[in-house]
Amino acid sequence: MSGAAQNFADFFDGKTAVARRVAYAIDNASGTLSITPPEAAAMFWRFEKLREVPDQAARGQLVVTTVDHPLMRLHIIDKNDVSDLRPLARDLRLKPPVRGKSRVLFWAAGAVAAVFAIVFVLVPVMSDQLARILPPSGEQALGEATLGQIQSALSNEMTGLVPTCDAPDGLDALEQMREAVEGANDGLPYPVRVTVLDHDMINAFALPGGQVVFFRGMIDAAENPDGIAAVMAHEIGHVAARDPTRIALRSAGSLGVLGLLFGDFAGGAVVLLLIEQLIQAEYSRDAEAAADAFAIARLRDADINPAALGDLFQVLRDEYGDVEGIAAHFTSHPALGDRIAAARAAGAEMGDTRPVLNATQWAALRAICD
Amino acid sequence: MASDLGIVFSGQRGPLFRMAMRMGALSVLTLGIYRFWMKTRLRRYYWSAIRPGGHPMEYVGEPLEKLLGFFIAVVVLAFYIGIVNLVLMFISFSLFDGNYAAYLASFVGVIPIWFYARYRARRYVLARTRWRGIRFGVEPAAWGYAWRAMLLWALTIASATLFWPLMTFRLEKYRIDRTWYGDRQLSQGGDARMLVKGMIPVWIILAAGASVGIFVDPGEGIQFVVGFAILALPLLAIAFAWYSVRSFRLLTAHKMAGDIRFVSKASAPRVIGIYLLGYSATAILTGIAAAAVSFGWLIALFATSGEGFSFEQFDAIAAPGLPLQIVGFVIYFFVFVIWSALRHVFITMPLWRHYAETLEILDTMSLPGIRQRDRDEHREAEGFAEALDLGAAI
Repeated sequence: MSGAAQNFADFFDGKTAVARRVAYAIDNASGTLSITPPEAAAMFWRFEKLREVPDQAARGQLVVTTVDHPLMRLHIIDKNDVSDLRPLARDLRLKPPVRGKSRVLFWAAGAVAAVFAIVFVLVPVMSDQLARILPPSGEQALGEATLGQIQSALSNEMTGLVPTCDAPDGLDALEQMREAVEGANDGLPYPVRVTVLDHDMINAFALPGGQVVFFRGMIDAAENPDGIAAVMAHEIGHVAARDPTRIALRSAGSLGVLGLLFGDFAGGAVVLLLIEQLIQAEYSRDAEAAADAFAIARLRDADINPAALGDLFQVLRDEYGDVEGIAAHFTSHPALGDRIAAARAAGAEMGDTRPVLNATQWAALRAICD
Repeated sequence: MASDLGIVFSGQRGPLFRMAMRMGALSVLTLGIYRFWMKTRLRRYYWSAIRPGGHPMEYVGEPLEKLLGFFIAVVVLAFYIGIVNLVLMFISFSLFDGNYAAYLASFVGVIPIWFYARYRARRYVLARTRWRGIRFGVEPAAWGYAWRAMLLWALTIASATLFWPLMTFRLEKYRIDRTWYGDRQLSQGGDARMLVKGMIPVWIILAAGASVGIFVDPGEGIQFVVGFAILALPLLAIAFAWYSVRSFRLLTAHKMAGDIRFVSKASAPRVIGIYLLGYSATAILTGIAAAAVSFGWLIALFATSGEGFSFEQFDAIAAPGLPLQIVGFVIYFFVFVIWSALRHVFITMPLWRHYAETLEILDTMSLPGIRQRDRDEHREAEGFAEALDLGAAI
C-alpha cells in the first residue's frame, strides 16, 4: 500500500445514468477512500462507512457504497486495490439495519391467526350451515366420491382400490342386520347403505349420503353380531344427524388453505392427513352422545341388547389398547366409561332380547370377504 | 459504433452451484423460511453477472420484505381459497352431483389471481433492480393485466392456438409500455403479425395430430397413434421453443427506450440445445446422487436390523426406526436440493448467459440524460406469486 496512489474507476451518483470515470485513492493516513470526479469536488468516504454490494458474480471486483450516500456506487476493478481495501474497511460486509421487523412479526401472527380462524372457526361454521341445506342427491354423490378416495388411499398397491366384500350370504346377513337396526321410520331422505371393505383396520365410520362402512378387521374382532349391530346403529345415528357431511365439507375448505401453506410438495401428505381425519372422525361430544342415544333407542326397538355397544367398546379397549382404530375413535372422548355404563344400564332395563342374527347368518357375515 | 453497448456475462458454475446447494439445504432445514433469503442472494448473483457495457446490474430486494409479502398473501388467499373452495364444493354437489365441477371452478377461480400475481411479482422485481445506480420501475396495473390475459387466453384456446401470436404480442406490449428505466419510459413497437410465421411449425404439428385423431381409429391403429405421439410431442416442444426465441428476437428489435434501441441475436438451436443437454445432465447427475444415497440408506437399514443384505429378506425386514426414517426423509429432500442446484448450473445460467451475450443496446447517446425515479414501496412484494407457487424460478 503506497499511501494514496491514484487509480481510476467508474462512479455512479444515483441521480443520473451517467458512468463517470473518477480518480480514487485508498488513503490509509486519513482512513478514507477519496473519490475525485472530473470538474467536481472530491469526496472522502470513511473506511468504516464503506459497504460492499454483496454476492457479486465477477470475482476480485468490488462495488462499494457508503452509508452516507447509499445510492452512490464505485465499481473498483483493480484486484490489488480490492485486496488492499478489504482489510481496511472492516464493516464492508455489514448489513443495513433491518427495517420493519415488527411489521413482519405482526403479519406473521396475522397469517397464523387467519389460518386458524378459517380452519377451526369459519370453515366449520359454514360447513354446518351448508350441510343442512345440501340436497340429498348431492350428499350421496359426496359420499361416493369420498368412499372412492378412501379406498384408493388405504390401498397398498400403487393404483388399486381396497376391494369391497361381496360374498352373497354375507351380504344377506348384513342386509338383515341393517333392516333390523334401521327400523321403519328412519326419516332419512336416502337409503342407508352398508359396505364392508377388505382391510385389517378395526374401525367403522359413516360417510355423507347414508353410507356406513365397516372394515373387515372390525367384524373379525367382534365376539357376537350384536356388537356389530350396535356399532351400525351408532353410525346410522351419525348419518341421521348429517355429521359426516359436515366433516367432508369442512375438509374441502381446509384442504385448500393447507395446500396453500405447504405447497404441492407436501400437498399429498395433507390429503392423506385429512382422509385419516375423516375415518377417525372426531365428532363433538354432543354429536357422539346423540349418536349413542340414537343407537340405544334403535337397538331397543329391534329387541337387541344395547349393552352390546358397551361390551364391544370394552372388549376392544381391553384387547387392542386405547390407540388403534375404533378404540381410538371412541376412547378419544373422556366420558367413555360413562357411555359404557349408560349402554349397560339401558340393557339392564330390558326384558326379552334376542340376537340380531342366528349362528348361520353370523358365520356368513364373518366370511363376507372370503 | 461507440454508442452501442454489448453485454458481458460473468456468472460461473462453481460458485453458483455451491450457493444453490448450501442455501437449498438451509431452506429445507428451516421448513422453507430460508427460501426468501436464498432467492434474494441468487438474484443478486444473477443480476450482477449481467453487465451491459461492463457495468453490473444490481438487485436490491430484501428477504424480509418477501417474507412479509408472503404473510400478507397468506392472510388474503387463505380466506379466498378456504371459503371459495367450500362454497364451490357445496354448489358442485348440490347442482351437479359431483366434485369435478368444483375442481374446475376452483381452478378457474384462481386464474385471475395468478395473472395478477405474475404482474405484481414482475413489478416488485424491477422496482428492486438497478443499473448504473438508476432504478427500474413498473406502473401498478395488475388487474388490467389479469383481465386482458384471461381474455387473450380464452381467445387463444377457443381458436385452437391461432391467436397465440396476438396474445404474446399484446401481453408483452402491456408489460413493456408500463416499464420504466429511471424517468425513461420503454415502449413496445411492431405488431402481432410479425410473430405469425414463428407459429407455423407448431400449427403443422397440431394439424397432423388432429388429422391422426380424426382419421385413425384408435381401436385398430393404436400402435400408429402411440408412435405418432412419441414423435410429435418432442417436436412440438422444439417448435414452440423456436417460436419463443424468434418472438423474443423480434419483440426485442421493436422495443425502444426513447431513442435507445435493442437487438438480440439469440439462437433457437442454442436455446433448444441448452434445454436438451441441461436437462439430461441434471437428470443423470441427480439420478446418480439419489442412487448413491439411497443405497447407503438401505445398507444402514439392513445394518440396524441385523440382517444380511439380500433382496429375499426385503419383505421380512422390520420397519425402519425413527432415526432412520428421519434420515430417509432428509435424503428425499436432498434429492430435490441437488436437482434444483444442478438446474441452476446446467439450464438457468447457460440460458441467461446466452440471452445476455447475444443482446446489444444501440444508440445510447441519450443514456446520460436519464434521471433517477422514486422508490416503489410495494409492500406485499411478490407474496401472491410466492403463495401460489409461481415463484419457483428466479
